[in-house]
Amino acid sequence: MFDFLGIPPQALFGQLLLGLINGSFYALLSLGLAVIFGMLNIINFTHGAQYMMGAFGAYFLLQYLGIGYWWALLIAPIVVAITGIVIERTMLRWLYKLDHLYGLLLTFGLALVIQGMFRHQYGTSGIPYPIPDALQGGHRLTFMFLPNYRAWVIVFSVAVCLATWILIERTRLGSYLRAATENPALVRSFGINVPRMITLTYGAGVGLAALAGVLAAPIYQVNPLMGADLIVVVFAVVVIGGMGSILGSIITGFALGVIEGLTKVFYPEASNTVIFVIMALVLLIKPSGLFGRAASQTSAVEHGGASAAGDGGRSALLFLGVLALFFIISPFFIYPLFLMKAMCFALFACAVNLLVGYSGLLSFGHAMFLGSSAYVSAHAAKVWGFSPELAILTGTGASVVLGIITGALTIRRQGIYFAMTTLAFAQMIYFFALQAPFTGGEDGIQGVPRGFLFGLFDLHNQVTMYCFVFAIVFGTLLMMYRIIHSPFGEILKAIRENEPRAISLGYRTERYKLMAFVLSATIAGLAGATKAIVFQLASLTDVHWSMSGEAVLMTLVGGLGTVFGPVIGAFIIIAMQNYLAQFGQWVTVIQGFIFIVCVLAFRRGIMGEIANKIGKPL
Amino acid sequence: MAEAALSRALQATVAGDALLRIKGLQAWYGESHILHGVDFDIRPGEVMTLLGRNGAGKTSTLKSIMGLIPRRTGSISFQGRELISLAPERIARQGIAFCPEERGIFASLTVRENLTLPPAVAPGGLELDEIFELFPNLKERLSSNQGTKLSGGEQQMLAIARILRTGAKLLLLDEQAEGLAPVIIQQSARTIRSLKERGFTILLVEQNFRFASTVADRYYVMEHGRIIHGFANAELEANMGKLHEYLGV
Repeated sequence: MFDFLGIPPQALFGQLLLGLINGSFYALLSLGLAVIFGMLNIINFTHGAQYMMGAFGAYFLLQYLGIGYWWALLIAPIVVAITGIVIERTMLRWLYKLDHLYGLLLTFGLALVIQGMFRHQYGTSGIPYPIPDALQGGHRLTFMFLPNYRAWVIVFSVAVCLATWILIERTRLGSYLRAATENPALVRSFGINVPRMITLTYGAGVGLAALAGVLAAPIYQVNPLMGADLIVVVFAVVVIGGMGSILGSIITGFALGVIEGLTKVFYPEASNTVIFVIMALVLLIKPSGLFGRAASQTSAVEHGGASAAGDGGRSALLFLGVLALFFIISPFFIYPLFLMKAMCFALFACAVNLLVGYSGLLSFGHAMFLGSSAYVSAHAAKVWGFSPELAILTGTGASVVLGIITGALTIRRQGIYFAMTTLAFAQMIYFFALQAPFTGGEDGIQGVPRGFLFGLFDLHNQVTMYCFVFAIVFGTLLMMYRIIHSPFGEILKAIRENEPRAISLGYRTERYKLMAFVLSATIAGLAGATKAIVFQLASLTDVHWSMSGEAVLMTLVGGLGTVFGPVIGAFIIIAMQNYLAQFGQWVTVIQGFIFIVCVLAFRRGIMGEIANKIGKPL
Repeated sequence: MAEAALSRALQATVAGDALLRIKGLQAWYGESHILHGVDFDIRPGEVMTLLGRNGAGKTSTLKSIMGLIPRRTGSISFQGRELISLAPERIARQGIAFCPEERGIFASLTVRENLTLPPAVAPGGLELDEIFELFPNLKERLSSNQGTKLSGGEQQMLAIARILRTGAKLLLLDEQAEGLAPVIIQQSARTIRSLKERGFTILLVEQNFRFASTVADRYYVMEHGRIIHGFANAELEANMGKLHEYLGV
């Protein structure tokens, strides 16, 4: 036997095999995403949940009907595809004429609903699923042991991917699909039922995800969250490969699986993050992805405020005053800790909203700023013994640095790609927080001292703490208002409305977008740092993607693009979490449901609706 | 005066059996009202031309017939069947085909795929051999990889050729002469005449009056989303003055 760079061949080939298995799932899932995106112009966030549904389908069939693996391989994807068809018919088809982001938001909400329901029923522990008898055992090769089932997964996935590719690129049906991707109206005028094709395409893409789920069941067990984290990695795969090409997404999927496997051999600590690092590199070198066509895409989001640029005039300032008054009076009636939490999240949501409202970029990864800043300030206060104001400053500083680095990379893409890249970077930070020594892993940093503000005021006193948080939050909101109305804010608005024109006027728009991004990151960081001091805790929750999703939800409920709407959104969502906490997983389900309702029927959000009624921007 | 001519043209139609009869057609793009009651008929086997300035509603009329403008009212009857509430794919299946102004050649399809894309909607479509007789150039280009790599004239041919295969009886052709060299325009005119000989009924939308006059049997002039004038080719000389006034040519 030989060693390769000091690695025993068993380990090397073992990880290579595991990489190929993961690659199979990446390829099947990103293929489904690409097919769906081509026809529907929707990034299907539900994809991970549908993968999980496939695995559960196989489990149900075995458990309740005694139907084994081979039939499950056929039945489960078909059943999941049918649920997908229902989703397309009842919800997605109303979004085709809107910005792509709404599709992302709706399917995100759907994923929350589905995963929440399965978690409610089956908890988070995996349910084992047996390997079919015919594929038990394995072969002893000269250099490694090859389990039959794993070989089957790889061979079958390659076959399914190739078959899909041939279907799309080489058949008559495929030519209909490609033509309808380019010009659906014209294809309809030839007598081809394009709406039905779109429905079936969504069904087929979802079916591919479910097929991957059935394949995964014997390997990874059946678990309600098995698709939740996987989908974020698959998004990174999609960004790396580019959406344009079917073959591209297959190759990228397998290649990244292998790279991930090899990283496990040579540098295990990085194996979770290597795909995100590659994504960052690809964004630097070829922003449209390795196989992507450099399609220029606009990113205009339907703005919540009255159609005349919702820059929030005096009425917005008045509204801020009302909000301040509310937060001054309410601690006499409502639990102050809850109010402080609401204020921190209000600031956080406003940060997300600042970015989407004033540069048209919807971030799905702002938890990375909230979380990392919370960790740094908690560490500074607890370990280094910083005073609270210094700890908060240090934490905020950390998120500024993080904002500059991630911002420089992510603003190279727009629209849904921006959403996916921010999500992927946030996931990278999440894995970092999970593994880094100073973050305390699953426990987080607990028992952070609140300390003495400026060495004088004892923040353990609830009233002092409340005043401090109030000052930070409303001071920052006032500053945001000033910035929006400054010349800088005007230029941002110009870029949002028409970037090419802003460029032709001589503005280096990417600099302004970066500044907006960093500003937003700073405010999110400030919110996170303050929250860490108030709750004396920094934990993984703060940096998880579901936190980013919550911020987007608060923004959506309050009113996308209204200046202070997210404050209301944050208050509602936090109140809901507080008072519904006893219902456990149903909170997630309800949140997902709110997402869906907002996207389908209530896109302006609360403040947007009010602004529309009174005819003034807020 | 205009109305007298219009009614004469209409009477002529009523005498024959109309293949397509449009009555009180109105259409909207979102909030904007673009067609305000269009009426006309087309008899089987004739070449009818819609003339009019930019924005008069000619293309919108074609798209309304094809069902590509969702919000439309009035009546469009084809071979006695009402189309106003049908989806585009159902309308196409009745035997109507549309060739858009921008040609609509698909970049992700090969030339052959582009040519064979539209499915047959009725028997009696042209065979590939007959199509290559009409458009010899296309045969040479068949192996070309990307439909959009063809020249403008070739794309034009491809766009017409692909709807001849389907067996559609009524062809809606939008601005065929636009952006083409004079030689190609003459070739286009020859194609349209030979399609007429083969029994196709053609509704042509044109701004290029000279081109239209070499192929059309009858003319309707549109303005502000209405038909304001109609006459037969034989009456062309008598109507020249008016045409100049309407079209500003």
